[in-house]
Formats: sequence, structure tokens, C-alpha cells
Amino acid sequence: MTWKRLISCEFYAIFTNIPLLVTVFGGVIIYSFLYPLPYINQTPQEQSIAVINLDDSQLSRTIERMANATPQVNITQQVYSIEEAKALLIEGHITGFLLIPQHFYRDLLLEKSPHLLFAGNASYFLVYGTVIEGLVRSTSTLAAEVKVSRMVMRGDNIALASSQYSAIGLNLKPTFNASLGYLNYIVPAVFVLILHQTLLIALGLLTAGQYENKVKSQPISKLQSSYWLIYPVWRVLLVRSLLMLTIYLVLFSFYFGYSFESYGINRLATIPDLMTLAFPFLLSVIFLGTVVGLLIPRKELATLVVLLSSLPLVFSAGFIWPTSNMPTVINIITQFFPSTPAINGFLRLNQMGDSIDNLVQIQMQLWSLTLLYAMIAGVLMTKKQGELNRMIKSS
Amino acid sequence: MKLLQTIKNEWQLICHDAWLKALLFWLPVILAIAIWGVFSAGIARDLPIGVVDHDNSSVSRSLIRYYNASPTLAVVKHFNSMEHANAALREGSIYALVIIPNSLEKNTLLGKMPQVTAFYNSQFILIGKLINSAMLSAHGTYVAQIETFKNLANTRGNVKQAIGEALPISSQISPLFNANTHYGQFLVTAVIPAMWQIIIIATIVLVWARPLQNSSLEQWLAHLNFNEELKRLIPYILIFWMQGIIYLSVFYGTLQWPMHGSWLLLILAQFFLVLACASVATLFFFITLDVTRAMSLVAGFAAPAFAFMGVTFPTTDMPLLAQLWRALLPISHYITVQIQQVNYATTLNHSIGSFVALITFVSGLYIAKLLVEKRQRLNSLHEAKKEIIEKGCNL
Repeated sequence: MTWKRLISCEFYAIFTNIPLLVTVFGGVIIYSFLYPLPYINQTPQEQSIAVINLDDSQLSRTIERMANATPQVNITQQVYSIEEAKALLIEGHITGFLLIPQHFYRDLLLEKSPHLLFAGNASYFLVYGTVIEGLVRSTSTLAAEVKVSRMVMRGDNIALASSQYSAIGLNLKPTFNASLGYLNYIVPAVFVLILHQTLLIALGLLTAGQYENKVKSQPISKLQSSYWLIYPVWRVLLVRSLLMLTIYLVLFSFYFGYSFESYGINRLATIPDLMTLAFPFLLSVIFLGTVVGLLIPRKELATLVVLLSSLPLVFSAGFIWPTSNMPTVINIITQFFPSTPAINGFLRLNQMGDSIDNLVQIQMQLWSLTLLYAMIAGVLMTKKQGELNRMIKSS
Repeated sequence: MKLLQTIKNEWQLICHDAWLKALLFWLPVILAIAIWGVFSAGIARDLPIGVVDHDNSSVSRSLIRYYNASPTLAVVKHFNSMEHANAALREGSIYALVIIPNSLEKNTLLGKMPQVTAFYNSQFILIGKLINSAMLSAHGTYVAQIETFKNLANTRGNVKQAIGEALPISSQISPLFNANTHYGQFLVTAVIPAMWQIIIIATIVLVWARPLQNSSLEQWLAHLNFNEELKRLIPYILIFWMQGIIYLSVFYGTLQWPMHGSWLLLILAQFFLVLACASVATLFFFITLDVTRAMSLVAGFAAPAFAFMGVTFPTTDMPLLAQLWRALLPISHYITVQIQQVNYATTLNHSIGSFVALITFVSGLYIAKLLVEKRQRLNSLHEAKKEIIEKGCNL
């Protein structure tokens, strides 16, 4: 009944459990390459668009050139009607189009504020946003040029005119992810979830596996020698959680160190600050995983349950869709999953440079979840141990 | 008659297995409601932003009113110091920080084009982009109004011409196929199929593993008639197909999201998707011949599927490797058909490639069959060897 023996038994149980090792080491490493793969190029660029130029003036051709000059769009087709453009769009040859109406140049000279039509395929929002951004940017440059030239025609100084074409300028600066890269957006959040999900599965497999296999396929008498029945529950839980914590601190460092570095993702937090959050995060997940393992009848269900929760957890975490626009019920329920406060906390700490002192609330939440799930795990495990010990006695 | 009997037997099994019942009937509903719940608002409103107003003039105050009037934005906080404002941006309680310079009013009246700076949080790309375009349009509206007033003097009271000068070119932006850029319509219709794929594959794996709960693998394999056993999948395939039809009718019936194409083609594509998923699941099970390991494969295969579907991030901007991985996922072929039918209402010709791809997956069943036969041959060889050795011993 020594600690040393318990630790070696637990170590043996973890490192001989093949599905667990595959999930933990295989899963974490494979996902670290697979998940960012679609987003390696960061932003969609040079979307093919069509132009419907019904004006055919020198100015309208300038508009085409200016649109082509933006990194967002690339004019690949010239068509003569909206129907033609739509057909191309449905075929997938283009993702948007620009319509320059007839008499565009004349109306501009007459100061009639002529209309341009920008259309993008809103079946894909990112593509749509890119196309519209490119078109808006190029025409606003043109509009500024028109204003400047009018001011000059009225007799204003060209140097002054080119800095005063608008009443109030607006300088919009993207912050924390200056390039608006998709990889920088998805990876820091999803990697936290990958650690969360694989750790849940690992503990589910380990815990459920011990109670399921041995009970079924072996004679009850053999169970007597199982270390997880002999040692008191709190000692098993303590040793198990510390061992898994150690393993996951290594994997956590791999993600937040090597992976982020190689993908060029912000690393604004210091290591001690990251650890301050990583400890309660990993511990709360470990105990939640143990609870899952104790609740399911067969170990393969651990993978299933965790797998099914992934997409709802991603979309309700608040980094994709603002929490203020979600129903309150969903906001409350998701607070019980460590991933929600953890994703939030790590994004603030590591991506947005928030100070750890401002994250007290999230730390407290994660520690409370740790305590809550540790208690539930303790109660459930004690109950199971009691049941099995009674079975052993009666046989 | 025999077929009917198989279906009846399976139905009995389903009724007695709480997990199967959950996967087939109520879990998909709960998960779908959760995802729909997250995006039920459809359009993000009142995203919190903060202001530092160094000018505090009537111009700065009306500019702030214009920002606040945008349905997307809500000015929730006026900061006195940059320090507090920065902290709020970093902790995520505001998504953007607008800084209004001193003498904004004076410089505006003098025509010196003062600059308003806005830092917006681009770590949350979707939210950041919404803020960016809402700020641009609110700002543009206000500036156009000021300029129109100023221009009225030059144009001797001709309002139309004054507007024409303020906005030399106006533009109309048209989001095709999703007229009000509704996020529910965009994301929910893609997330739910991704989740459906996970449920189908995982459930079919469980169905295959069912007999192993009561008999050993070798015994079961020895008596396995693969073609006969396949018939067991029929009721599940039908139930999953029904699930698909139900979610489609909720999207495009109950929720009244627009659907332009052919229901027949869409429902047909769903049938082939279910078949494809069933054969992938069968293949996974017979590769591993172990439910836990098969489930790990399911997790690796289906969990990141959403990222590869090409809905949020366009397929054309993915690297080749990601496009190849995408082609291996049945759901990406199905979602192509769904978007083509729902949004573009194309003919079968456009979708023929996706249908062929989906049908190709059925070959997984054949590979699984070969695996079974190989395994059976090996086993019987093994048996024969054992017999010979035993006989040898007897001699």
C-alpha cells in the first residue's frame, strides 16, 4: 500500500493502454498538422470576378484596372449581362461581379453620383467579404481621386486637396491579428479544444476501461488484486490526475510553444502566466473526464460522447459568434465545460496580451470546476468501488 | 421475408439499447437545436464598442451617435484614459475602440480632414469584419451628411448636386443567394450536416460492434456471412436518411430559409451520403476489428471535417494536401450538392461529379468484405495448423 507502488501501477495502466496513447500522443500530434492545414494560406486572395462594363469609357476601364490592382480580386471575365455573370458564378468560375452602368462617366461629370453594383457569392461569407472589400476599396480610392480633381478644378491647391478630400477621415486598424489571418483566428482557440477533447477521451478510456473489462472478462476473484480497488479513491484520483497533468503539460507546451511558433501565431503571454491558467484548465478537464468515464458503461462511448460535443463547444465558445448574441441558456450551460473559460482566457492572455491579473475570474471558474468535478468523481468512484467490493465479498 | 425478419430483429435491438436509441432519435435533435440556438439571432447586433472622446464637441458627439445608431454597434463605454480603454479592448469587453482627436470640430470646420482612429479586435475575425464594415458605413453616412451641408453653399442650395459632390460615386452591394447575410442560414446548414456525418459513422461502428458484446471476435468472424450481415444496416440507413430529410424540411420549411432547387436531387444526395458514411464506418470497423480503435479512427476522420468542407474557408485557397483530404470526406461532396441545389438551383449535370464521388465511397464495403475473407482464411489456416500440431502430438 505504498505511494510508490500506486504510482507505478498507474503509470503502467496509462502506458499500456494503446487506445489512450493513440488518442493522446497520436491525436494531439496529428491534429496539430491536420487542423491548420486548410488555413495555411491565411486569407483568401485574388478571387476571380467578372466585370459587366456597359459604359466602356476610359474611366470605367480605370475602375477595372484599380479593381485588378487590389490583392482581393482579379477580373478574369468580361460579360455583357447580369444573367451571364450569374451563370458563370453558378458554374464556379467566378465568385462575384462588378457592374458599371451605361453613362457612368457622363453621370460622374454631371455630378449625379452614379451607381456601381458590387455582387458577391454570399453562399460563402469569407469569399463574399473578400470580393466586396476589394471592390469597395478600389472604388473609394477612385472616389477620392475624383473629389481631389474637382477641388483642383475649383482652384484649390493640389497638395491641400489631396489631404482634405473628406470632412473626417476614418483610420480602421485591425488589432491583435493585424493580417486578419484565418490561421491566427482558428488555431489558438481550436488547439485549446483539442487538448480538452483528447484529455477527456483519455480519462474516459482509462476509467471506463478499468471498470468495464476486468469486471466482465475476468473472474471476480482476480479483481481483488486490482490496485484501483485496493487503494482509497482519493489516492487513486490524486495520482492519476497528477500523472495526466504532467503528460499534458508537455503536450500543452508543444502546442503553445513549438506549434504556435512554427505557424507564426502570437505568443504574448509569459510562461508562468500561461501555466497559471494551464493548471486549473488541465485539472478540471482531467476530473471531468473521470466523471465521464464513470458514467458510461463501455469505454468506446467516451470517444463518441466527446466527439459529439466538439462542434457545439466550438461554436458556443464565443470566439466565432459573440456570446451577447446567443441565448442565455446556452451561455450558462457552456460555462460548465472547461473549454469555454479556457479558450477565452488563453485568447486574452496569449493573443490579446491581457494581463493575468485581469483573468482572476476565469482562474476562479476553472478552479471551481476542478473542485466540482473532483468531488463528483470521488463520489461516483467510491460508489463503484463499494459495489465491486461487495460483489467480491459475496462471491 | 428474411429481410423483413432481419429488420425486425434489428428494431428489437434498437429498442433495448439506450445508446443506439439516443443516437438514432433524440441526441441528433438536441445537438441540432444547440447549434441552431447559437446562431438563432442570425444577424449580430449591438456589438459593444468603446470611445475615447478627446474633443467633446457637438461634432464628436453626433459622430458617436451615428456609430451607436448602427444596428451592428453599441457604444457601451466612454473612457477618460487610454489606459482603461486599452485594457477593455484586451479583455474583450469591447470589440473596438474609437479614438476621437481633440479639435475634431475645429479642424472639420476648417476643412483640414481630421482623422478618427478605430482599433478593432481582429482576433475574432467574423466579429471584427462585421465591426469594420459597420464602422465604415456609419462613418460614411455622417461624413456624407456634413459634406452635403458644406457643399450646399457651393451648389447654391441644389441638394442633389450637393450629395453628388459629397459622394461622387455611390455603390450598391448585393449579397447573392443570402440576401440579408443571415449567419444561421450560412453556418447552421453546414454545421448540422458535419455533425450528421459524425453521428452516422459512429453509430454504424457501434452497430457492427454489437455482437462482440456477447461473443468473442474469433467466434463471430468464423460464422460471419458478410453479405447477410450487411442487411442489418438497412434500418439504420433508412433512419439516418429520415434524419436528413427532417433537418432539410426544418431549414427550408419551418424556418423558411430560401430553397430554390430540386428536393428530389437533394434527398437523393442525402441517401448516397448515408450509404457512403455507412461504408466508411464498415471499413473502419473491419480494419481495426475493435470498437475502441475504430472509434478513434472515426474521431480522427470526422471531427475536423467541418474545417475541410470549404464553407467557412474557401476550398480554392486551401493547399493541395487539404483539398485531397477534403475529397476523402463524404460530407464535402454532399455539401457541394446542397449548396448547388439550395442556392443555385442547378441541374443534375452540375452535381454529377459529387454524386459519382459519393457513390465511389460504397466501394469501401467491398474492401471490408475482402478484409473479412482474408481474415477468415487466415483463421481457418491457423485452425488447421493447430489441428495438425495437436494430431502430431497425439502420434
